[in-house]
Amino acid sequence: MRAEIEKIQQMMEDANYVTDPAIATSVHLAMTLKKPLLIEGHAGVGKTEVAKVMSRMLDAHLIRLQCYEGLDAAQALYEWNYPKQLLHIKLEESTTHTLREKEATIFSEPFLIRRPLLQAIGQDGKPPVLLIDEVDRADEEFEAFLLEVLSEFQVTIPEIGTIRATHPPYVILTSNRVRELSDALRRRCLYLWIDFPGFDKEVRIVMRKVPGVNEALARQISRFMESLRTIRLAKVPGVAETLDWAQALASLHADHLDEELVLETLGCVLKDADDVKRFKRELTSSGLKRFVATEG
Amino acid sequence: MAGPRDLTTAVLRFGQMLRASGMPLTITEMMDGVRALDAVDLLDRRDVYLALRTTLVARREEFPIFDRCFETFWRFQAEEGQGLEGLTGPATPAIPEEHAGDTGAEAAQKKVSVALEGWEETGDDDGEPLEVPGVSEKEILMDQDFSSFPVEDLDEVARLTILIAKRLARRISRRKRPTRRGGVIDMRRSIRANLMKGEIIELRRRERRRRKVRLVLLCDVSGSMDLYSRFLLQFLYALQNVFGRVETFTFSTRLTRVTEHLKGASYRTALARLAEVRDFSGGTRIGESLQEFNARWGSLVDRHTIVLLLSDGWDTGEPEVLANEMLAIKRKAGRLIWLNPLLGNPSYEPLTRGMAAALPLVDHFAAAHNLASLRDLAGHLNLR
Repeated sequence: MRAEIEKIQQMMEDANYVTDPAIATSVHLAMTLKKPLLIEGHAGVGKTEVAKVMSRMLDAHLIRLQCYEGLDAAQALYEWNYPKQLLHIKLEESTTHTLREKEATIFSEPFLIRRPLLQAIGQDGKPPVLLIDEVDRADEEFEAFLLEVLSEFQVTIPEIGTIRATHPPYVILTSNRVRELSDALRRRCLYLWIDFPGFDKEVRIVMRKVPGVNEALARQISRFMESLRTIRLAKVPGVAETLDWAQALASLHADHLDEELVLETLGCVLKDADDVKRFKRELTSSGLKRFVATEG
Repeated sequence: MAGPRDLTTAVLRFGQMLRASGMPLTITEMMDGVRALDAVDLLDRRDVYLALRTTLVARREEFPIFDRCFETFWRFQAEEGQGLEGLTGPATPAIPEEHAGDTGAEAAQKKVSVALEGWEETGDDDGEPLEVPGVSEKEILMDQDFSSFPVEDLDEVARLTILIAKRLARRISRRKRPTRRGGVIDMRRSIRANLMKGEIIELRRRERRRRKVRLVLLCDVSGSMDLYSRFLLQFLYALQNVFGRVETFTFSTRLTRVTEHLKGASYRTALARLAEVRDFSGGTRIGESLQEFNARWGSLVDRHTIVLLLSDGWDTGEPEVLANEMLAIKRKAGRLIWLNPLLGNPSYEPLTRGMAAALPLVDHFAAAHNLASLRDLAGHLNLR
């Protein structure tokens, strides 16, 4: 493995993020090639975390744009501060300033609200990390707009002029696949799929993040999660659920799993009524062994 | 030691192979691949693999193709440290046989698709309102079941299908006129318009952006359904510019995504290709096919999507499975339409167990068995 990638992996581990070569390589390439990185994976596998860790690692500013349906350029890029403009117009009513002067005043920097994308572009000094979270929730039009911004890293505000990034940000996009993203956006980005962690990785994550859990329990938990994910569930639990659960078990001072304990704390792991039913059926028919059996 | 030029060539050739296998790679991606190799350890196979995967792959579904091609192309020597040789000089027939002739075949294919590219625009469709379907002789064609046409007439019927679709396409796009009321307030323009007034007197509005409807087609190609599927596809492909996106799947006992097969080529070539994915094992497992669709392609469906399912409802699987999967689709989709050509037969009643289970979940149930019913279908292809 290239030394730089190893170093990144080490730095990510130091920043309390349990990682693997695939993730480290992608982060390394995103930084070297200066290309946006699209991260996909099930909910709760630590996609957003990559950006946070990156900013910690680089000691760079993290700018986050949370996407949602209906998000538009005014929310993402910039907007004029309308109340302030109105107030100003009101105050200026009795003055003799011309229309042109008034206009120049209210459409100037102090009246501009910088939204995340503009912040990321207009940043001085170190390039920031720009996290565009859950981009699949935004509309297709916004996706197209994003493509434009990401390829140019410059924004033209008619009243002020063009703002160009002196230090283009590192861009991380995450998607839960609520909506299929366009090929144009996909092919413009580097791609990383984060799967549910394998058994060993999950044990490491639990041990690292929940200090109150001993190794035997951590292994049981991970084995349980591994087999749980093989059942057809409406909401497959991610690492976030594993950690919540481990935390709960730790605060109950548990040192091993038994049926009663699992049923008591099930709410940390399964969050859909049908899933709970399905799991209970499975549990009555084949017992807890089915979920932790291979653990020897 | 091999120079970077060889490396570039190797990556480009690898890219060609991926393209031939169905990954729509861009040149930029390939050049990124070359740059990425520069940033990793070339002697480490995993590094090379991850670097190329990160840059060339754009969705998880492409992983299997990528892995397969990677195995074939980047044939490394067994011992460590031999990486570079393997990299720059792919072992003689590292590319599978069928790929060797690919450049020729690809070029030929390209020519074909270029030649046929304009099929949607050809004809006398520009401006002049079409005579179709107005003439009495054609009126008769409108009501005739597709399956009752003699084979030699099918081409003519297909042509008519496209003409009707094109007329409808124009009508549908014309419907999108901006409205006076409604829409969202455009603060920016409002402020400007009222600059000298001291307060907002007159509001400026802008039209809320309309989103194009997307279509997901699930076509039964088992037995007699095949013919109807073809006409439906033909019809919708001529309409496709009206829609944001059209995704097509065929199924009989299993599900196949054919969207890529249908891209670019003419409907004729495309439909001919459909036969390749058909399987003749008999019986239809609609429920299982939908299950597969939901599991793998569920993210294609949202509330701006219309899902069209064309089938006679003869399901050899469990009705419960079918109902469950239909419900899953209905929850997410803007509209769920079931097309059953048998409905065109007056004596038909939807009594198969599959149909009975699915019908309560369907927003619209129609026939699609002749030209007239396809034309009527267009009226249902909108949301709200």
